[in-house]
Amino acid sequence: MISYLIRRILQLVPVLLVASIAIWAMLYAVPGGPVAMIVGQDASQEQIDAATRELGLDRPLVVQYGDWVANAVTGDLGKSIFSKEPVVKLIGQRLPATIQLAVFSLLIALVIGIPIAIISALNPGTWIDRVLSSWSALALAVPTFWLGILLVLLFAVELRWLPSASRYVPFWSAPLDAMRNTFLPALTLGVYVSGILARFLRASLVGELRADYVRTARSKGLPERQIVGGHIMRNALIPFVTIVGLMLANFLGGSVVTEVVFTYPGLGRLLVQAISTRDYPLIQGIILVIIVIFMLINLAVDMLYAYIDPRIEHS
Amino acid sequence: MRKSFQSATKTIRNLMTRKGVVFSVFFLGALSFLAIFADLLGFDYLTQNLIASLQPPSAEYWFGTDELGRDILSRVVYGTRTSLVTSAGAVTIAALLGVPIGLIAGFFGGWRDAVLMRVVDVMLALPAILFAMALIAILGKGQMAAMIAVGITGTPSFARITRAQVLSLRNRDFVTAVEAFGGSATYAMFRTILPNSWSPIVVQAIVLASVAILLEAALSFLGMGVAPPTPSWGEMLRTGKSYLYEAPYYAVLPGIILTLTILSFDTIGRAMTDLLEGRHDLGDHTSKDAEPTK
Repeated sequence: MISYLIRRILQLVPVLLVASIAIWAMLYAVPGGPVAMIVGQDASQEQIDAATRELGLDRPLVVQYGDWVANAVTGDLGKSIFSKEPVVKLIGQRLPATIQLAVFSLLIALVIGIPIAIISALNPGTWIDRVLSSWSALALAVPTFWLGILLVLLFAVELRWLPSASRYVPFWSAPLDAMRNTFLPALTLGVYVSGILARFLRASLVGELRADYVRTARSKGLPERQIVGGHIMRNALIPFVTIVGLMLANFLGGSVVTEVVFTYPGLGRLLVQAISTRDYPLIQGIILVIIVIFMLINLAVDMLYAYIDPRIEHS
Repeated sequence: MRKSFQSATKTIRNLMTRKGVVFSVFFLGALSFLAIFADLLGFDYLTQNLIASLQPPSAEYWFGTDELGRDILSRVVYGTRTSLVTSAGAVTIAALLGVPIGLIAGFFGGWRDAVLMRVVDVMLALPAILFAMALIAILGKGQMAAMIAVGITGTPSFARITRAQVLSLRNRDFVTAVEAFGGSATYAMFRTILPNSWSPIVVQAIVLASVAILLEAALSFLGMGVAPPTPSWGEMLRTGKSYLYEAPYYAVLPGIILTLTILSFDTIGRAMTDLLEGRHDLGDHTSKDAEPTK
């Protein structure tokens, strides 16, 4: 297990290297480069020279990159141009909101997705399978931002049950208020993800149902409930773990649009604001953090995967 | 030539046996017709009529009017142009970048394959919308930037598919023969392998079209795509969201057209994937390309 873990971590190094170079180089790809970003487009030559020296831009590129990475590793992602606050602090304020939204959405996705997958896999080709499969297709095709708008129209405008704009309330401080505020954005994201979960779990269940051990179990007269619950689910869950892990990482991306619809104060909305104000250190910081989280989740999923199915470790 | 024509008509006949595909083709055809001949059909998306702002749907304004009294239906029709042109451009960019990457990686293997695929992995590591936003942060906002950003996010999928296709053809006799007769690597890649790889690439283009339409709409919704007054579906939903209490239909009707368009491309794309993989009537709606895109 340890050697597998080390091997997987080593595999992440080149990916992280390419990603960090791309994010760092972003500044240099902007018209006018990093100097124009600090002093503005119509600065005098003296201002430009001073800023160049101050930022260390007269040093070789490799040194500049090394410096940036060294700072990033020690938790210094620079200061926001707009608010002058440290980028790490701004991200730290928004991250918990996005994580809470992701966890809520995942729960909703599981509650909707798992029953759909099981029912349609047990009745392949029937009308109920077709109806449930259409659910997946529809859940994936409806844009999250439009679904969000529809849910606001129903629950906030028509029924007036829930707020149309969601605040971030930490779950442990006020669970009911937190649920009231997070329910609509979580449902929006959760419905989309339930479509993916149902589709994948159904496919993997259908595959398992045809396996020899299922026939053996049936021929020795085991009740169907036990075959599905005890035998099939256990095997079908292996690929499922991967999908759930990937989904969790994907919430970070999907939440951008959802957070904007519900004006929810998460990391995604911070990124949208940073892009509109061209706050490059903040943009770089958020993207770097998202990539690192994404990789860590992938790593955790791989470890869990190897734990569930020991064959993987040795392949 | 004749043979490929026959197989193409057979494929189309096969596809048209599915009700969903027929409906999708009809819907997209009607939408394209309206978008192309919008001027001739008398759609007017610019004239403001402030007295008649935020009107509900009526005989005169089928989809109602927006906050400036403009006809929402006309704006949806012209928005179709924006959406289809941007996504067609994006898919073209993705194919022009991705196919050669896949060809080179698959054909040469070795370090070229390792480097290119590592870059592709990193591109896939970021959710598409975030990647597109990062690119827009560099390129600036606008329709062209949205087209390029969406195109670049679609590149990895073309690279992957082409590479897989190359790997399956690389050691076939007809490729070995070209090389044995002294054909250059370029010739072998573009004149021998590529012509035999079209089917999955075309299918990928259609699958990607639905993703591109969704991404373009999402970017416009976030205020990073097409700039007003050019109509775009995402932008209409963005503005409509501000008038949910006064004019609920404003954000609903354009969304229906957007969803149906995405669903249509997706339905055709998945039917073609099924056909390509030899899954005809297994009732298996599961496709490997169901990767998260939002």
